[in-house]
Formats: sequence, C-alpha cells, structure tokens
Amino acid sequence: MAEVKEKILTGKKFPFCPGCGHGVAVRQLAKVLEDAGIRRHDVVVVSDIGCSGLVDPLFDTHTIHGLHGRSPALGMGVAMGLDEVPGKKVITFIGDGGATIGLQHVLEAARRNVNMTLILLNNQVYGMTGGQISGLTTTKFKEIIDFEKDVPPFDIVKLAHISGARYAARVNSPKQMAEYLRKAIETEGFTLLEIASLCTSYAFKKLPEFLEVVEPEEAYENDRPPTRIRRRETAPLFEPGEGYEARYSSPVEERKGILLAGSAGGGVQSVGKFLATAGILAGLNTTMKGEYPITVGTGFSVAEVILDRDDIHYTGLAAPDVAVIVTRDGLEKVRGRLSPQTKVYLDESLEKDFDLPVRDVVVRPFGKLVSPKSKALLAAAWMLKREKFLPLEALRDVLADHRLSALFLPVLDKAVELE
Amino acid sequence: MKTTRKTLIDGSKLATEAMARAGADVFVGYPITPSNLMYAYARRRMPYFLAAPDEITTLQWMAGLAAAGKMPVTSSAFPGIALMTEGINMAYAMELPMVIMITQRLGPSTGSATTGAQGDLLFLKGIISGGYPVPVLSPSSFEDMWSLAAKAVETARRLRTPVFLLTSKEMVMTQKSFDTSKLPEITPWKPARRVREPFRPYEPVEALTPAHIFLGDDEYLTRITASTHDADGMIRKAEPEALANTRRLRDKILHNLPDYLEYEWIRGEEKAPVLIVTWGVTAEAARDAVKMLEKAGRPADLLVVKTLLPVAEEIREIIDSYTKLVFAEENLTGQYKEILFGEQTPAHVFAVTGIGEMITPRAIAEAVEKTYHHG
Repeated sequence: MAEVKEKILTGKKFPFCPGCGHGVAVRQLAKVLEDAGIRRHDVVVVSDIGCSGLVDPLFDTHTIHGLHGRSPALGMGVAMGLDEVPGKKVITFIGDGGATIGLQHVLEAARRNVNMTLILLNNQVYGMTGGQISGLTTTKFKEIIDFEKDVPPFDIVKLAHISGARYAARVNSPKQMAEYLRKAIETEGFTLLEIASLCTSYAFKKLPEFLEVVEPEEAYENDRPPTRIRRRETAPLFEPGEGYEARYSSPVEERKGILLAGSAGGGVQSVGKFLATAGILAGLNTTMKGEYPITVGTGFSVAEVILDRDDIHYTGLAAPDVAVIVTRDGLEKVRGRLSPQTKVYLDESLEKDFDLPVRDVVVRPFGKLVSPKSKALLAAAWMLKREKFLPLEALRDVLADHRLSALFLPVLDKAVELE
Repeated sequence: MKTTRKTLIDGSKLATEAMARAGADVFVGYPITPSNLMYAYARRRMPYFLAAPDEITTLQWMAGLAAAGKMPVTSSAFPGIALMTEGINMAYAMELPMVIMITQRLGPSTGSATTGAQGDLLFLKGIISGGYPVPVLSPSSFEDMWSLAAKAVETARRLRTPVFLLTSKEMVMTQKSFDTSKLPEITPWKPARRVREPFRPYEPVEALTPAHIFLGDDEYLTRITASTHDADGMIRKAEPEALANTRRLRDKILHNLPDYLEYEWIRGEEKAPVLIVTWGVTAEAARDAVKMLEKAGRPADLLVVKTLLPVAEEIREIIDSYTKLVFAEENLTGQYKEILFGEQTPAHVFAVTGIGEMITPRAIAEAVEKTYHHG
C-alpha cells in the first residue's frame, strides 16, 4: 500500500514579488520533504524578519517566527530542546541580511553541530527596507552598484565549514536545488544551504546576468557526529536540615564584626568561611562576605565575618571590632575602615609605618612562622585565641572536616603555641 | 528534642535548588559578576546546562527550549539584561515560560561589578515595548530566595511568560548561617494538557493563558510568533482579533496577580503612625531599624513588597492607609516610590536612598524619627 504523503504547505498564496527566488526555494523544499514522506508534525520551521521570514504562514507544520537575524539561535534552542525526541526536523530560514546580524549564531550552530538545517536565502539585499546591501552581498554586485566594492562579502559556506558544520553548500541553479536540499535535510547534524537568487525589486533590474553576479557553487562536509543534548541526573545542592549543630558555647552576646585583610591566594576567603562556620558550632548566627578585585588572582582579598547571638538581617559592617591584617594589599584596602573601635592584629612586616588611630594594635610575625598561604589562618586563629569569641576547638573541628586538614591543623597548633 | 542545624549558605544556592525543585530543568547562561554563583550551582544541579556565547544567544536559546517544552532559567546583571531585552520582548509576545534572575549591581553601564544596588526596577517597569507588565518578584531574605525562586518558576509556567527574580549582589553572594530545615517543601506545578478543539495556539483556555503545546507535538500543530498575531498564531497587522490578543497579554499578567502577589506587612498591636516601605536587600536593614525604633519608643510598621510589578491594588491600599511613609531603597531617586507617586514626591512621603553601599538600619531609623518631628 502506498504511503499517503502529507502536504507540507498550507496552500496560502505566496506573498513574494513576481519572479522572486524565495518561492522557488519554498516549493522545492516542500517537495523534498513530501517525497521523503516526512510528517508535518515532525517538522518545525523557524524563521525571522525580512523577506525570508514570509515563509512562516506558508508551512502547515509546527512554526516559530522570531527576531531579525536570530532565527539560527532560536532554531538551535528548538533543536536542542527536541534532541531527545526522535524523528523531528528543525528547518530554519534566514536571509542574507539576517545572516549578517546573526553571523555568530550561524558559526555557533556549526561549531556545536546541532541537528538543524539552515536555509539561507541570499537575494543580495535587504528587500523590505529599500534594497540596502548586506554582509553577504557579492563583490560583483557591489561593483555594479558602485558601493563598498573593496569590501568582500563573508563566505558563509566556508565559515560554517571551518566552524564544524556537518554539511555546508551554496546552490545557484534552480535545477540542482532539490538535490542540495535533499542532502541538507537528510544529513544529521548542522547543515547549511545558501540559495542564491536576486531580489526582483532591488537587484534584478540592475543586473546583466544572474550567474555573473553570484559566488560560485561549493559544498563541504565534516565527518563528525551531531552534538547530543541529554538529560542528566543531578543531586540536590543541599538537603534541607543539613549542617552543623551547636556543640560549643560562646561568650559573644552583642554583634562582633571581624575584618580579615590579605592578598589573593592567601586563603582569606576560606578563613572567613572557617570562622563563620566555627561560629555556628559555637551556637551563634554568622555571616561571611568576601570582597576582592575583579582580577581574582591578584591584589587584595578581604573577608567580613559577623558573629551575633541574635538573628542577622542587615549584613553590613561599618566599624569592625577586630581587624586581622596580614599583607600590604589588605592594609591599603581596609585602611579607611579602621576606627578607634577597632583592635588590629597586624603582621610584623606592616608595623613600621602603621599609624592609624585604632583601639589597639597587636603585632606578631605571622608571615615568618608559616607560608604566605597560611598566614591569614594563623593570624585569625591567634586572634580567636586572644579575643575568645569562640573556643578554638570549634575552629579545629571545622578544619578537621576540610579536605586540606593535614595542612591546616598544624597551623592551628602554631597559633596555640604562639605567645 | 529536635536539634537545630545550621549551614553557611548563600542566596544563589537557595534559589538554584528551589528552581530545580519547582521544575526548572535547563540553565542557559553567560557569566557576569555578580551572578556567577548561580551559574556554578546550576552547572551542578540543572539536568541540562548550556553555556551560551553571549546574552542575546542566551535568550534565543531559552525561547527555543521553552517552545520545545523545557523550563529554562538564567541569571545576569544589567549589562547582560540589556542585551537580552529584545529577546525578552520576543518571549513575552510568544508567551514562553522562563525565569530571569537579575543580580543588581552598581551602574550605569559597567559601573562597579562587585558593588550591590537596587537600580534596575524602573528599567523593568518599561522593559516591554508598549508598557506591558512583566511579573517582578524580589526576594527580601534567604527564605524568600527559596520560596520566590520557586514561585517565579511556577508563575512563568502557569502564565506562559518570562518572570524576573530581582535580587542584588548582597542577596546572592553573602553567606549566612541558615537553618534549611525551615524551608517549605516545593511541589512542582505541572501544566495539564488542556486543549479546546479545534486547537488554536493562542486561544486562552485558562487564566487568560493559552494551552502550551510544544513544537514537535504529535497531535496538534502549533504556531508561535513574536509578531502581532491572531489566535491561530497567524501574523496579522493591527486587526481587531490580533489587537485583542495583544491586549490579552497585559490582562493575563494583571488578572492573575493574586496568584503571585507576595508581601510582608509587619505591624504592632497598634497601628504605628508611620510605614516603612521597602524591598529586596534593604528590607533586611529595615527589619533591624524597626527593632531599633521600637526600643526608642518610636514605633514604625513595615511593608516589604516582594511582588514589585505589577503594582497590586492591595499594596496601594496598605500604603494609602498611612499618613506618613518612609521609602528605603538602594538607588539614587527611590525607584519604587517613583513608580507609586511619580517624580513629584508628595509631602507625606520620605525616602532613604543611596548608592555604593547598603542602606543602614540607622539611616532608616533616623528618617522615621524625623517624621515624628515633622508636622
């Protein structure tokens, strides 16, 4: 029994100007799909703004019609969303103007080799806005109109090919169009077919001979499978109720603000988290806020830790009670925030010209006792020993849980020993 | 006795987990400070994760994925949101569900990427050409980061619309000790397949919202478009049926507002003579300010608005029931105040505003104290 072939087109009157090549392309595509026995429900036609977008109402398939130049990206989204549904064909239309806007989208689709066919209707001009040239207008055409003839067009076929498209080709002859279309539709992965024509309103009148104007036909293939999008199983980021319960006590009643100031790579952010977590172990509410330059690998690194018996809503720290400062970068960053309320724990290397009016300054040679990476931890732990905000055991438990505990615990021991 | 356990956590983690539990399944992202934590968490948590080459592509992929049946989310800051804007308009007109988390930072332009702000509200008020409203939910606490993130996903799906989750640097990056056992359970909202025969892609079936038939459906052919269109999804110029569909976009967001209206109205036993109105990160400072004022014998009530847009009548009624108002928000002019009262601030309305650092509880308390001496 012969299979009943589904009609792909709605039968609506074609909206194209008389003689426009777009109509030829639509009819040939519909025939190729029908001949291949493809169901309407298995086809998604993606289009955007411009004459190429006029195809939208012509297809009696699934359709989606978006923004000028963006159909390759929109189509990629659809293709990725349907990648696990077998048998679906995403066919995206774009014009030469749209392809100029969305050039990166085309290259991205090629690079990812998504399962989608892009049909580029290149009629040399922006047909809806007055016949302006696009980035794909050929040099020969521009010579005729005497405009930007020294600027070559993008060869989008070659660009797609070197970006990884499974198949990329240009066809100029209507006679061969069906063959190219069949190849583009049947090939899995990203396929691009540039179909050259001349806008009858703005290009054809000015031209002696169509084939003298367009770029030569070409076709390339990359032997690579399409990128597959597959759902993966993931674990929750946390289980509600997980965390530490209070197993120590703390004398802190009123809010305490601690400022840790050092340099990138010195573990300041980690030490901030250790202190805030140790605070939880000691039954307090805590916050930890990091500050560092956009260039995360250089310059200052500052962490603010708040310890409080009450709930903490506002997380700002205007005047810290304690500042632990271990590097020059850190000192320069927090200099303006130190006040007569602040007690400063300072690395010996910074003592010489430290003249800020703070509550108290305690100096120790933290940097001489451990490596630069451990200096902040040593200074913070020693501060904790002196200030007694939290028992050192709380900090020890946090460090012991860390994958680098073998590095950290000896630093804590040094803090215990240090007078 | 149940022991309390606390963990050091940030709002990005809470929001990402909540969105995943609410049914978001794909994160499409382009990195930008200060939204990168969500990018990192989503990389671990979302069943699909796509690294887009820019923010324009991000929105296009999200739209395509949503049209094909996925529930996409992203996170960005103003420079990225600006690039997404044409795509957001497209998704709004196409009626595609998605959640866009905005981590506000100091502008204009590149501004200061690691400094918080609340400066993007007015932009969102007018983001859709023609002045059509988009739901804007703004978490005011870690609890909200959880519940509003889930609400945003649910609202996006129910109403087939982009929804904004308007946060700021402090809400997404600062870590707090937090008891996650208090978080309410999240049940994902699953769209029922309600189709009226004959199927018309943009004919509303419930809550002024059309059935969401995905591209590639084996039973119904769907037609999705951003251009002015009729119920069949056929592009029309300004014809009555098409314009009715366009008007419905606004009606849909307004009509369903009770389903996603969130706010907190904190009052003492007696109504205070002044109401603090705030949102987002500044709500945390306002909560402290209310305590300070109580101690000082100058009570103030507090309204934390969480569904900022569209503005609910219920919110206006609460605000209108006070003779003195103090708005607190971290931007230059008081953007929420401007949305309610315009650029000419009435005499009974005061504002605590600022840029470059968080509004402090003291600044809010002082502004309230002043109203006690004023008139």
